[in-house]
Amino acid sequence: MSAGTEMAIRARGVTKLFGRGTDQVVALDGVDLEVAEGEFVCLLGRSGCGKSTLLSMIAGLTRPSEGEIDMGGRRVGMMFQDSNLFPWLTVEGNIHLALRLSGAPKDQWADRTAELLDMVHLPGMQLRRPHELSGGMRQRVALARSLAQDCQILLMDEPFAALDAITRDALHDQIERVWAERRLTIVFVTHNVREAARLGDRVVVMQPSPGRIAEEVRVTLARPRKMDDPLIATRAAALHDKLDKYHVIAEQGRTS
Amino acid sequence: MSAPAGQRTAFAARLGRLWARTWPPLLGVAILLGAWQLLYLVEFRPPWVFPSPGEVATSLVELARDPVSWSALGTTLTRGVVGFGLALLLGTALGIALSASRVLRSAIGSLLTGLQTMPSIAWFPFAILLFGLTEQAILFVVILGAVPSIANGLISGIDDVPPALVRTAHTLGARGFSMYRYVVVPAALPTYVAGLKQGWAFAWRSLMAGELLVVIAARPSLGVQMTFFREFADTAPLLATMIVILVIGMVVDGVLSRVSNRVRLRRGLGAVRL
Repeated sequence: MSAGTEMAIRARGVTKLFGRGTDQVVALDGVDLEVAEGEFVCLLGRSGCGKSTLLSMIAGLTRPSEGEIDMGGRRVGMMFQDSNLFPWLTVEGNIHLALRLSGAPKDQWADRTAELLDMVHLPGMQLRRPHELSGGMRQRVALARSLAQDCQILLMDEPFAALDAITRDALHDQIERVWAERRLTIVFVTHNVREAARLGDRVVVMQPSPGRIAEEVRVTLARPRKMDDPLIATRAAALHDKLDKYHVIAEQGRTS
Repeated sequence: MSAPAGQRTAFAARLGRLWARTWPPLLGVAILLGAWQLLYLVEFRPPWVFPSPGEVATSLVELARDPVSWSALGTTLTRGVVGFGLALLLGTALGIALSASRVLRSAIGSLLTGLQTMPSIAWFPFAILLFGLTEQAILFVVILGAVPSIANGLISGIDDVPPALVRTAHTLGARGFSMYRYVVVPAALPTYVAGLKQGWAFAWRSLMAGELLVVIAARPSLGVQMTFFREFADTAPLLATMIVILVIGMVVDGVLSRVSNRVRLRRGLGAVRL
């Protein structure tokens, strides 16, 4: 990281405990994470390593038990594995609601919506209803809705995990393009090593019980990347070995 | 002038669809009327106690010509609309209060569900002592009958709002009032409308019970009308009045069902046939 780069997210000593007494579980144990402005960071780990918990704390959906997270007042948007489009609203209605909640003047809504739908390659879909769309299309509308609030940081919690491989590849291309065009800072949670290697500038490998950052890996491949690039496969294989290693260490820690 | 062929076939197709929808209920009514006529012909009861469908139809026409029965209908409908309207306001307010406050919920939540199972006619002796033979006595019971269903519909609708939608709305910046206004209430709408339907059914039943028990002098209503017909053993207009009551109940229920279906279809919740 070059000196003078502004940090978009600074998490220091973040610990999250669930439950009480003997049932208490340490979901995250003293995590430090810094994400530079405009950086694309992937949080990689098996289930139970606290990556989603960390993300929802950055989003402000839950509070850390200890430690602090500072985003310098930047606007944060979030996407989930499910698109969570509001089923009683049209595509347009969903985006308008995001614009309304972020305080955009009403006379701009129509233009901004058209612009956002163009950006996610869904022009003219304003009046469709969520249940009429495919899973990939819904996720693109969800992306447009997140961008409608003019967020500088976009948090993505396994947003493409429920999609088929072809759709996912297409969405990887789109999110990479949108990230570059909008100079977004993205924190992307995944358990898919190829996805992490395909998307991240940096991959933060996490380990379970308790959730910690095990290692950080820089991915210095040129962009735009392609999923079928053999270099990505090589990086993915290396990440896979690391995941296995930290998983085994965690298992041993538990049984000893 | 002949219509274009395409237009004519489209019209025929529409007629066909309409027919496909109307013949089953028409057949049902025909079978019912046939059985009724048969019972009349075999004199299962003396004809002055058990009139034929034809006589009831004649009574219906006579009632329709009588201004007094129209004013009776007006009184009953007004009570129904006012009672249900007040129950709607009260039930909605109560539902929002109970879903917002945990304390209130545990204090009167189960009481509210209990009230739903209590036959509202059981309230009348008390209501009559409280208000006398007045409009208030009737409205009191109509409201008591409908409020629990409406409130409970709203409460379970709000309880069942998917947490994922609330979280998403939170990340979009919805808080407090805007969360309720734009997310929680719309998400709860289908269950709320189902509660309204049930509330209407209870209100209408309570109203009829009330009009039979609380007879207010010089104010004709469908209930009073039925009481008179019974006292004069005039069965044909009695049955005609009952048909009017049935039809009104069905029409209002039909309107609410249409609203409910539309709400559900728009969000892709329509019934799936496999």
